[in-house]
Amino acid sequence: MVKIENLVKRYGSLLALDHFNIEVKEGEIFGLLGPNGSGKTTAINCILSLLKFDRGSIRIMGEEMTPDNYRVKREIGIVMQDVAVFEELNVWDNIDCFCGLYVKDKKKRRELVEEAIRFVGLEDYRKSYPKKLSGGLLRRLNIACGIAHKPKLIIMDEPTVAVDPQSRNRILEGICELNRQGSTIIYTSHYMEEVEQICTRIAIMDHGRSIAVGTKEQLKSMIKTGETVTIEAVVLGEEALSDIRELPHVFDMTYSGQTLTVRCTGAQHNLVRILNYLQNKEIPFGRVFSELPTLNDVFLEITGKQLRD
Amino acid sequence: MAVFKAYLKITKKNGWMILMYLAIFFSLTVMFQSFAGETEQGYSAQSVPVGVIDEDGGIMAQSLIDYIGRTNEVKHLSDDEEALQEDLFYRNVDYIVRIPEDFTKKCILGDENLKVTTVPGTYSGYYVEQQITNFMRFVRSYAGAGFTEQEMADAMSERDSAEITLVDISGNAGIAPAYSYFYRYLPYLFLSVLGYVMGYILMGVRRGSLPGRMRASAVPIRRQNMEGLTASGLIAAGLWGVCTGAVFFMYGADFLNSGRAHWYLLNSFVMLLMALSLAHLIGTLVKTSNALSGTVNVVSLGMCFLCGAFVQMDYLSPGVRKAAQFLPIYWYESVNEMLTEYSAIAGDVLTQALGGIGIQLVFAAAFVCVTLVVSRERRA
Repeated sequence: MVKIENLVKRYGSLLALDHFNIEVKEGEIFGLLGPNGSGKTTAINCILSLLKFDRGSIRIMGEEMTPDNYRVKREIGIVMQDVAVFEELNVWDNIDCFCGLYVKDKKKRRELVEEAIRFVGLEDYRKSYPKKLSGGLLRRLNIACGIAHKPKLIIMDEPTVAVDPQSRNRILEGICELNRQGSTIIYTSHYMEEVEQICTRIAIMDHGRSIAVGTKEQLKSMIKTGETVTIEAVVLGEEALSDIRELPHVFDMTYSGQTLTVRCTGAQHNLVRILNYLQNKEIPFGRVFSELPTLNDVFLEITGKQLRD
Repeated sequence: MAVFKAYLKITKKNGWMILMYLAIFFSLTVMFQSFAGETEQGYSAQSVPVGVIDEDGGIMAQSLIDYIGRTNEVKHLSDDEEALQEDLFYRNVDYIVRIPEDFTKKCILGDENLKVTTVPGTYSGYYVEQQITNFMRFVRSYAGAGFTEQEMADAMSERDSAEITLVDISGNAGIAPAYSYFYRYLPYLFLSVLGYVMGYILMGVRRGSLPGRMRASAVPIRRQNMEGLTASGLIAAGLWGVCTGAVFFMYGADFLNSGRAHWYLLNSFVMLLMALSLAHLIGTLVKTSNALSGTVNVVSLGMCFLCGAFVQMDYLSPGVRKAAQFLPIYWYESVNEMLTEYSAIAGDVLTQALGGIGIQLVFAAAFVCVTLVVSRERRA
């Protein structure tokens, strides 16, 4: 559906995209995950031909994407990071206006607009103006404006920024529903939980490069971390720390503010081994957590920094 | 036609504002027109009620009374101080002249002045005084030439009052037609309404990520621009149509039979194009509604005051007029004044009128060019 090869985009001396490569297959929800400034929005703007790039190629549905390729543009829906609607038009008119940029037939458009309104749950706000809508409702309107014409490819650039949890869940469910209805979706976010929840494949971006691509399981299997054990309110001496570091399958450990974090490979009974050691040494401890690896761990292990740094 | 429709819907949203400006404009026009109707009349002799106390009763006293009576209403009064004061107080008379006994000897042959009483600070007083001075000057010159009293009286009765013949070079008899006021104030309406409407529309389509969404859509950007321009043109044409319809409704046959209707329409249409291009420039430059409001007010009111829309050009100082030449409304108002002054547009007047209209078009083209440059810079 979308193939990007060796995309390079510079803003003066800043390299925003550095030989960026991804391939999105039809029917996928493809996540672009990366911290702010990693190049996600630049990549999206290049895909949409809103930005000229210095090198590389972008092909969508087998055709080269150019600013004048309106045949391809007709099949794309966009949900921008900022809410992009007319403040002077009400909900219905906004959706109708943007749908009108793709669908000429008035009757068909009316049906599509109604469908989009129902899809995002704005039935009670047809005549409301954007200024009267809450942040969550506004985001839903933003989505409706982008998807009303039933595009084959939907590009969503951080559509849940500054949205309350209830609206966020509704939006995420909606994205999955759109995908079930046949749309391919490119979804950018810096919220790893969202990406993990809905995306079938994920590209992790940093400094304009895709540093890892795959399903979430594939990405997690790329890293050494299989389990992270965190123990709070524990007082440890040098000897105990050294002993724990030497336990089987432990490959990294940090101890700070009476909190011990132990990273283990994907073996079994890591938690039991650590707790047994503490009990044998009669070392008291507080709360204990055991976490399976997250995309943040993937990002941390590959780049050496947190996703939200 | 999504962009076209969006423009019209945003305009509809500002419908109340447009109606408000139309109401202000028509109220101002009617108000100024009625003021002008009261003040800008043709010349006519003024009749002042003049009280006369004739203590002489001679031939020359009667000659003076007759002379004053030619253009004024003469009232013979008795010499009662209290009654005279009352007559002045209640404006039964504006001026009282006392002709003394031996008037010829004392005042014509001698140096004694006539005793007069008037309401202080009234123009009518000066007016009558001037007539008496004229009379005295003539009769003194006749007396110097050796005329008898009877000969002097006869000479004065034969002397006609001075007649002024106005040469009607314009064919309007110097009177401005009522619809000329309508067209004089029109720039304020066009600049305000188009400035606000286009400003709101252009700010709207430029807001946030909207330009990106529009550019990424399936409608080519050139077509979107064309739809936008068509909608702008329709809005402007609608405004012009409403105003032209109002002129037909208010002045009807007077306007149509003036022989200059097509000139007024052409001049106002070209000014409309200029106002539209200026509105586009303002809409491209401003970023907030407060800035838009301030800019439109400064531009519309400033231009109208400086260029002779609100204040007639004759009252503007030469410096202001010179500076106003750098503003398009000045040229619109110049053409308008020509249309008001001359009933037939031909020869030099035609050249000047076409020149004024041409300069407005040049201004319109310049505003379009600056708008394009600003838009291009912004996209880059």
